[in-house]
Amino acid sequence: MKKRVAEIIINELKLKDVTAESFDENLDLIEDLGIDSMELTTIVVVLQDEFGIRIDEDDFSQLTTLAKITSYIQAKKG
Amino acid sequence: MATPFKEILAQPEVGQRFEKVRQFFFLRESTYDMTSRCNLRCEGCYFYEGDKQHTEDERDPAKWRSLMEAEKGRGITFVVLAGAEPGLVPELCQVCYDVIPLGAIATNGLKPFPPSIGYKIHISVWGDDDESQKWRGRACLEQQLASFKNDPRAVFVYTFTRRNIDQADFVTQRIAQQGGKLTFNMFSPTVGYEGSGPLTWDVDAFHRTRDKMKELLERYPETVLYSRYNAQVHTDPERSLHARFRCPYPRCNPDTKLGLGRSFRQYRTDLTWDRAAACCVPDTNCDECRHYAAGSSIITARMAQHVDSPESFKKWLDYVDTYLAVWVAGYEKSPNLYR
Repeated sequence: MKKRVAEIIINELKLKDVTAESFDENLDLIEDLGIDSMELTTIVVVLQDEFGIRIDEDDFSQLTTLAKITSYIQAKKG
Repeated sequence: MATPFKEILAQPEVGQRFEKVRQFFFLRESTYDMTSRCNLRCEGCYFYEGDKQHTEDERDPAKWRSLMEAEKGRGITFVVLAGAEPGLVPELCQVCYDVIPLGAIATNGLKPFPPSIGYKIHISVWGDDDESQKWRGRACLEQQLASFKNDPRAVFVYTFTRRNIDQADFVTQRIAQQGGKLTFNMFSPTVGYEGSGPLTWDVDAFHRTRDKMKELLERYPETVLYSRYNAQVHTDPERSLHARFRCPYPRCNPDTKLGLGRSFRQYRTDLTWDRAAACCVPDTNCDECRHYAAGSSIITARMAQHVDSPESFKKWLDYVDTYLAVWVAGYEKSPNLYR
């Protein structure tokens, strides 16, 4: 799952010079990459599609790293 | 059952429009009161309500430049220069433009701006000259039209009240005649105004305004920057923008990690700011706020609430496309997708 989440982040943010395998799971998308709410929202709606879950807007600000996003999705899927 | 997002984007016109608008997801806004002076006194003005009108004006261009450089440093990419009347301090507007070149100026349009300031210029219109005289103390329309004729920066902003709905025909026609652009605003009462002021809304007026907006959108597609969804959400008699979408400005949003709650500031004329009061139209009653500037941020930020169906997402795309055409210099509006 983590690899697929990383692929989605890389694809939606159009990141260069990084692969799903090399993506730092603790890289903070907001603090380190400087993305903001609209870019994060785009990632979230793609993740909802991919994993068949609904993510509440109140939870968006928790989804700041690959590790946190993966944990969140795993918890949602039970 | 919600339609998968990738299926929504698979419709070519939808996918292309999303790619068009997402180029501007980098915009991070803050707003700035430029001076406490104004050459009008409009009925229900948000600036002359609350504490902000009493701050001392900072008139030193060097201090404004320092502020703008600091704003740029913390990631602000779009400035809105507003209260009370930026046209009275064009030298400060120029300083802002020199440091952060994307933005808009909210003005009554009685004073021209030097061509070297490349921001969008939003000129507030409240009706014909008689109506303007009545509620703003001065006839404005013809002077505004003359001052901004053939100015590509200009967007006339028609503020609907319950008393000027029918005059929108005449005003739109006049703006169309000289090839200008027009968008719509809704008079949004300040705290304490609602229920007592002469421009207080009633349900019938909301419906008539919605019908008028849609009519003018159909009749003047080259002039009116708006969409059917804009008309729908801004004239909802039951729910303000905050009630319907939850306003993300700091005044209503405690979250400091993301979006406007993280980065937005509303600076007063003394270059201070107060998180508790920070929104695009401070001292407006949030329960009655249908302001165009508020919607531009609120609804744009709520993409996640519009991805359940192709129709819903088209509405959102129309709204964002309208927002960008109104606020960002050089951005051209495309035909609305939701009809």
